[in-house]
Amino acid sequence: MLEELRSYILKKKHHAFRSPSGIDFAAEFAEKRLNPRARVAERFVRICEMEQPLLMPQERIVLTRTVTDPNAIFIKEEGEDRIDLPCIYTKEEWLQVKEKHFIHEAGWLSNVIPDYSLILEKGLLFFRKNADEYSCKMIDALIDLTDRYAMEAENQGKMDVVETLKKVPRYGATSFQEALQMIRIVNFAAWLEGNYHVTLGRFDVYCGPYLEKDLATGVLREEEALELLCDFFMALNKDTDLYYSIQRGDNGQSLTLGGVDAKGHPQFNMLSRLCLLASKELKVIDPKINIRVDKNTPVEVYELGSELTAVGLGFPQYTNDDTVIAGLLEKGYELEDARNYAIAACWEIIIPVVGTDIINVGALSFAKVIDRAFHEYLKKANSFEEFLKYVDLIIMEETEKILARIQNIWVIPSPFYGMFFPFEDVSKGGKYNNLGVHGTGIATAADSLAAIKKYVFEEKSISAEAYIEAVDADFVGYESLLAKLRYDSPKMGNDDDFVDDLAAHLMSSFADALEGKRSSRGGQIRAGTGSAMYYLWHPEEIGASPDGRRKGEGLGTNYSPSLYARCNGPFSIVKSFCKPELKRIINGGPLTLEFLSSMFENPEGIEKLALLVRTYIKLGGHQLQLNTVNRETLRDAQKHPERYPQLVVRIWGWSAYFVELDKRFQDHVIARTEYAL
Amino acid sequence: MTGIVFDIKEFAVHDGPGPRVTVFLKGCPLRCKWCHNPEGHSSEIELFWKKEKCTGCGLCRQDIEHELCKQLGRCWHHCASGALSISGQKWEAEALVERLLSYAPILNDCGGGITLSGGEPLFQPEFALEVLKRLTTVHRAIETSGYADETVFLRMLEVVDFVIMDIKLADSDVHRSYTGVRNEEILDNFARLKASHKPHLIRVPLIPQITDTEENLSAIARIVGDSPVELLEYNQLTPTKYAMLQKEFPLGEIAQPSKVDLSIFQNAKLLKL
Repeated sequence: MLEELRSYILKKKHHAFRSPSGIDFAAEFAEKRLNPRARVAERFVRICEMEQPLLMPQERIVLTRTVTDPNAIFIKEEGEDRIDLPCIYTKEEWLQVKEKHFIHEAGWLSNVIPDYSLILEKGLLFFRKNADEYSCKMIDALIDLTDRYAMEAENQGKMDVVETLKKVPRYGATSFQEALQMIRIVNFAAWLEGNYHVTLGRFDVYCGPYLEKDLATGVLREEEALELLCDFFMALNKDTDLYYSIQRGDNGQSLTLGGVDAKGHPQFNMLSRLCLLASKELKVIDPKINIRVDKNTPVEVYELGSELTAVGLGFPQYTNDDTVIAGLLEKGYELEDARNYAIAACWEIIIPVVGTDIINVGALSFAKVIDRAFHEYLKKANSFEEFLKYVDLIIMEETEKILARIQNIWVIPSPFYGMFFPFEDVSKGGKYNNLGVHGTGIATAADSLAAIKKYVFEEKSISAEAYIEAVDADFVGYESLLAKLRYDSPKMGNDDDFVDDLAAHLMSSFADALEGKRSSRGGQIRAGTGSAMYYLWHPEEIGASPDGRRKGEGLGTNYSPSLYARCNGPFSIVKSFCKPELKRIINGGPLTLEFLSSMFENPEGIEKLALLVRTYIKLGGHQLQLNTVNRETLRDAQKHPERYPQLVVRIWGWSAYFVELDKRFQDHVIARTEYAL
Repeated sequence: MTGIVFDIKEFAVHDGPGPRVTVFLKGCPLRCKWCHNPEGHSSEIELFWKKEKCTGCGLCRQDIEHELCKQLGRCWHHCASGALSISGQKWEAEALVERLLSYAPILNDCGGGITLSGGEPLFQPEFALEVLKRLTTVHRAIETSGYADETVFLRMLEVVDFVIMDIKLADSDVHRSYTGVRNEEILDNFARLKASHKPHLIRVPLIPQITDTEENLSAIARIVGDSPVELLEYNQLTPTKYAMLQKEFPLGEIAQPSKVDLSIFQNAKLLKL
């Protein structure tokens, strides 16, 4: 479907129409001493004016970036990051801002979901009525740009595009095509304004009614609707290399399907189904698909999801309403809001419209906690229980250190995107202003604790001194001990209470440490199990670990077994990882299972995978990501990248083209395949 | 009662209805030249060696303490690189049953069950039958070559819910030259299976130019009649497993597969592995 458009975008033919703005906005704004809102608006307006309409073959959902700034750099805490928008602050100014404030990641609004229902119903002119001068200018510039697109479409005889752009974005959408075009315009503008991890929220819920109306009235047939949806999905892939992200692919353009409404009734609808089909058809990395499920979700939903898993894009990801909604209620979210949650970016749980939580402000390294306890207290502890108390103390200390940094948060204002939230200034916060902190390397930590408990305190087969020496020597000269630790010791993922109980203890201790703490914006702190970049960063802080992980070896992604653990299989993994009290850990971060792609060669593999996913949900799991891997293909792709331009792999919560990744990401993916199920 | 098991695979998707846990019993009276589970041949515990992981440190040859390692001549307990492992573990029937029943809630919820496979599970008949008999709360299947005594086969039919049985070659002489045994006993057991009305599935491995010939498949089609059949595509990774056991792959080079006409069977489908 839409093969010509798909190939045009994947071959990056539209890149030929790009040119740099050539303007040093930062210097200009600094000289004029413009306030933040003015800067954001001014850059947006002037780039909109420079934008040239670009229509691609077969394309009916339009808007593509043509103005970039390949030389722009963005200043981060350490070093600088490239983005493809000219900066609005000079380096000196930005460093001054950072002296006074905690700046999260890129500093812009991220991971929030605007009121798409209202946008679709009313159109931008409705929002203009109550907007300030900056917002008004931005709406006007955007409408001017879409008018130029309409003129170009008329020149090319694409009359349905012309008709669509007469309606949107000025007025509300009246058809499925208009709704998709409206969402694309807002999405385009939100990125162009500077925001990142611009995410789509509960797409089937707010956009589904437009589809259903068109199907019911005969305006569209199902195949036509699917084609429009594919067009819209491709639109989300046009500019992704220009988005702020750690690696291409980590852009947070996710959409959420299914779930329940405010009263608890299931929402999986016709559009949910079509989204899964469209994604399966297109095999591209955006948008990332999330499905909300619960213990009553019919198996057909899992089967549709598994058909998409089989394609090998690393999504859909599943999130369990039973666990997450219960957890949100405990963190003070109102029932209706909790039932309306969506997945932003990778696995971030956020309430559309009213939630402005900052979800990934930091991460506790469980492996480092154990490393500290091992070195500081093992010789002193008289019993394992005493040792575990030290572990709890360190968890408390480390989380306090993380939170202490996060004072006086400042977010760059968004005069455009901010209009679609019911708050005076959404950059200053909304109804929910919680922070999220993740815990990484749970399996490495739990396996280490189990080994310490078993060998030092129960069997007494190794002394604390000798054990510390062996770990500090990276096990050189201690090969038999290393072999025992790696291959013949309790590992999380084998449904073994000896180690799983310790994992559950660590998780509770982490949740306890955050309980009752407050963010500087007055919110609570949520515990999570996402690893993001930390699975590469955290191992760098420590040497070898007591579970037999050697220095430099990675941690499992998100919430998963240790990289070299010999696990019995998916049933045991699922059972182990459901033992911690997961509703206390609802900041996001999935159990990640890797399957060999051969598993999906036959339809029954797909049907049976659906049942496995349902089992995880019924057992009370929180989030699940399933990847398909083929080691031979990945190895070959490292050697011959030119042969695999479209090979997709899942990283920690986003999918990417394998050949575009830095080698260390590629290597981690390959290491993971070794333990595929 | 004890038996030797070489693997317990969770979430097996091709071993009976629904997702399954498959137990591989070690030891087999057949020696099919294409066998993809060579570690299932011998009833003895064996050493697995992954050459590409071996650092050549030689520690496995020093200070061998464990009784089993002494027999094997190497100690896998010293191998930190993960190159050495053992294939085969002794299980008490009772302990195995307890382990398998821990999966029962999940398996029952998914419409799956436990499958005994091998090797040839009926090559350890008393152990296999004892385990099956005790697995009362879960769906039970067996994956067998059908090469077993009549009494064992009939007793087995009493304690399983589903039988997966191979019919590899219709001609008994050819059967013997490729598997080491004649097939009369197998075909007789197939007749017993059919007469029992036990739900079953017949598997035919498609070995290029050996079993996948039109002559052989037509003959098998006549034998099986309306029984459901799965034709298994040959797994190209098979020879690598022989290397790990330091054995020769008996079939050498594999020929090009024939084009198979499914319609000669009343009820067949193709399974890719």
